[in-house]
Amino acid sequence: MTAVIEARHLTKRYGATRALDGVTFSVAAGRIVGLIGPNGAGKTTTLKALLGLTPFEGELRVLGLDPRRERDALMREVCFMADVAVLPRWLRVSQALEFCAGVHPRFDRAIASDFLRKTDIRPASRVRELSKGMVTQLHLALIMAIDARLLVLDEPTIGLDLLYRRKFYDTLVNDYFDKQRTILLTTHQVEEVENLFTDVIFINHGKVALDASVEDLGQRYQQLTLSAEAAARARALQPFYERELFGRVAMFFEGRSSAELKAFGELRTPSIADLFVAKMQGSPGT
Amino acid sequence: MSSTPDTIEPGTEVPRAMPLGTTLLMLLRREFWEHRYLWRVPLAFIALLLLLAVFGHVDADDMPAKVQAALPTLIQYALASVLFLIVVAVLTYYTIDCLHAERKDRSILFWKSLPVSDGLTVTSKFLVALVVVPLAAVGLALLGHLLFMAIMAARAAFGSLPAAPAWDTLEWLRNVALMLVLLVLAMLWYAPVIAASLLVSGWARKPFLWATLPPLMLLILEPIFFHTTYFWHFLRYRSQGIWDVLAHGIRLPREDAVPHSIASALFDNLHWRAAFGSIDLWLGVLTALALLYAAARLRRYHDET
Repeated sequence: MTAVIEARHLTKRYGATRALDGVTFSVAAGRIVGLIGPNGAGKTTTLKALLGLTPFEGELRVLGLDPRRERDALMREVCFMADVAVLPRWLRVSQALEFCAGVHPRFDRAIASDFLRKTDIRPASRVRELSKGMVTQLHLALIMAIDARLLVLDEPTIGLDLLYRRKFYDTLVNDYFDKQRTILLTTHQVEEVENLFTDVIFINHGKVALDASVEDLGQRYQQLTLSAEAAARARALQPFYERELFGRVAMFFEGRSSAELKAFGELRTPSIADLFVAKMQGSPGT
Repeated sequence: MSSTPDTIEPGTEVPRAMPLGTTLLMLLRREFWEHRYLWRVPLAFIALLLLLAVFGHVDADDMPAKVQAALPTLIQYALASVLFLIVVAVLTYYTIDCLHAERKDRSILFWKSLPVSDGLTVTSKFLVALVVVPLAAVGLALLGHLLFMAIMAARAAFGSLPAAPAWDTLEWLRNVALMLVLLVLAMLWYAPVIAASLLVSGWARKPFLWATLPPLMLLILEPIFFHTTYFWHFLRYRSQGIWDVLAHGIRLPREDAVPHSIASALFDNLHWRAAFGSIDLWLGVLTALALLYAAARLRRYHDET
């Protein structure tokens, strides 16, 4: 089995700083992977490397292709949407559809038109006349109409209100995603989308801090909520992070058995957002 | 589909690219959507000129008979010359702006998300400036001239002008042929200038500054520090050198000696062989290709977003 993405020791230097420092991970087909990390952690650089937008060192295959040498072929199968809406402001909606149909062998104009018909966006409008939410809808329409195997989204809903964000992800999961497709997504709003992910990759200081499927997370990590007195005893089990909230203590453990922990308090699988904070705060070097 | 959900055979299923011609045509159309002044400015000029033809006053009676006879040709050249000056200005702006514009509004990330190579994109912009707009300008000049002459003839017929200017179809066709040959020569000669502008446009954050300030500084500083004027001569040569070669030793005819066919006279007397055989012309073309390659590489690997 060949993975959709196979990255080995990706390294990228900007002067003296290492934006990527030996990033290694792989992504299988049919997954929705969240690439999560603080600002400047190397998320966007990783995506740029995958898309052949920036030079780097290391081994990388995306859909079996080398993004450095085979970028044009790769773009026939990969779709991406960069952080803020980057559709050119002068572009008309109809021109956007026409252009994509003219250059993309896997673009189905009817799908995009059907999608747009359900919105307030008119074909004659220019991008500059649309609200930010509408621009994102337009971009989503273009992406949905491309029969790509890998979709890369870099903060696609930044600056949108909750309704647009919710609609965006609902459309993505219900109408776009299937087992043939793979989605790689970075976002700051982890809480909103964590139910979407099948896998998460935490990245910090240019290194992979965690790479696991969501099922595995439940096996590996536990969050224990307990009283301050119980916490003093539970510390013997070496939580990697703890946090106090309303007089109760939340402790995060890796690789402990449930039986061991249950005795101290209330046990559950941490949310991805909580686990992210725990990992980032609890790991050395932060 | 041979693949099951979890396996991907490397490369086997990558869909074929769109035909090169289809993609290129789309890219060319994009340029005219994005940079609307490319067609708006020349059209506005022709519209203005036709207004002039309708309402202007021409007094041909005082001119010598030979000049009167050559009037359609003279109008044809005058119109084409002014139109070409305008087009040169428009294209100068375009070539310095186009690769910068898509970086400035970050839309380059959208364009790069589509399966179009950087080489083809840069080539499309080069072709717009080198071939598409100049050829369209020739067409527009011809059309404008025909309309202009038709309006003049109509006005003469209705008596609002003294007489319809003489019309000579064969001469008109000769002029068209002459213009096209001159255009080809101009394309070859100015190709490196266009490619250099594109390179600056793709590289600089302030392309207009970089396209003008360094040459200007060189022009000023070279005589001061080295007491030489090589750069001035280089610029001069690169802007008009080929025309000096083509028209070497040829003088404008005096008013009373306008040849019967200006186009024929030019075809016979200009040094075509020397111009098209110029080593500098072809070195320039090679330089243009190298600069174009550099601009494509830059767009491919320049990471600033």
